Amino acid sequence: MTVSRLPTAALSLKQFLQRQKVLGIYRNMLKTIRQVPDETDRKYLRDWARDEFKRNKNATEQDAIRMMITQANNHLEELQKSLALARS
Amino acid sequence: MAARVLQQCVRSFARPSLRLCSGTLAVRAAAAPTAALHRPLSFAADSRRTRWVGQRRIPSVGVLCRQYGDLPPLTLEGISERVMYVLKLYDKINPEKLEASSHFIKDLGLDSLDQVEIIMAMEDEFGFEIPDVDGEKLMSPGDIMQYIANRKDVYE
Repeated sequence: MTVSRLPTAALSLKQFLQRQKVLGIYRNMLKTIRQVPDETDRKYLRDWARDEFKRNKNATEQDAIRMMITQANNHLEELQKSLALARS
Repeated sequence: MAARVLQQCVRSFARPSLRLCSGTLAVRAAAAPTAALHRPLSFAADSRRTRWVGQRRIPSVGVLCRQYGDLPPLTLEGISERVMYVLKLYDKINPEKLEASSHFIKDLGLDSLDQVEIIMAMEDEFGFEIPDVDGEKLMSPGDIMQYIANRKDVYE
C-alpha cells in the first residue's frame, strides 16, 4: 500500500490553484485601489475588499468559491471602469 | 552626414560614461557647421526640424539622467533596515516579536492576505515589481531581504 507523503491537511491541486487565483485577485484589487485619488476613499475601499475576502475565508465548496471569484472579477472590472471614467 | 553626427551626439548622451558637459558641447559645436553646410542640399524645412529636435531633445535627456542617476547605492544593511522599517510600520505585526527569521504566518500570526499586502508594501518601498510567483514564496523578512538583494545585484 502506498502511503502519501503529503500531510493530510495539504490542498488538492484544484484547491491550490483556486487559492492562487483568489490571492491574485486580491493583489489586483489592491493595485487598482491604489490609483484612487482620494485618501479616505482609498482606505474605505481597502477595508471593504479585505472584509469581503475575510468574510468568505471559510468557504470550502469549489463551486461556491468559483462563483465568488467571478463576482470579485466583476467588481474589479467595475472599479477599473469607473476609475478610467473619473480620469478621462 | 548631419544625421550621422546628430545620431552620434544623442548616443553619447545616452551613454552615462560620456555625460561630460564639455565633451557634448564640443560635439554639438562640431555638428552645427556641418548641418549648416549641408542645408543647401536638403530641404530647408527638414534640416530646420532636425536641428530643432537636436537642440530640444538633448537638454531634457541630460536632466533625466541626472534625476535617475542620483540614488544612493543599496547595501545589504540598507536593505534589511528598510525591510524591517516597513514591517514595523505595518500595524498587524507586533514589533517586539519581529525577527529576520520569523515566519509571517506561523510566527507572527498573519494570514495570506496580509502577506500579499506586505509584498506590495515592499514593492512600494523599493520601487520595482515583484511577480506573483516570487511574491508568494517570500514568507519571512529574511526571504524578502535575500530576494531584493538578488534582484538588485547586491552582494557582500
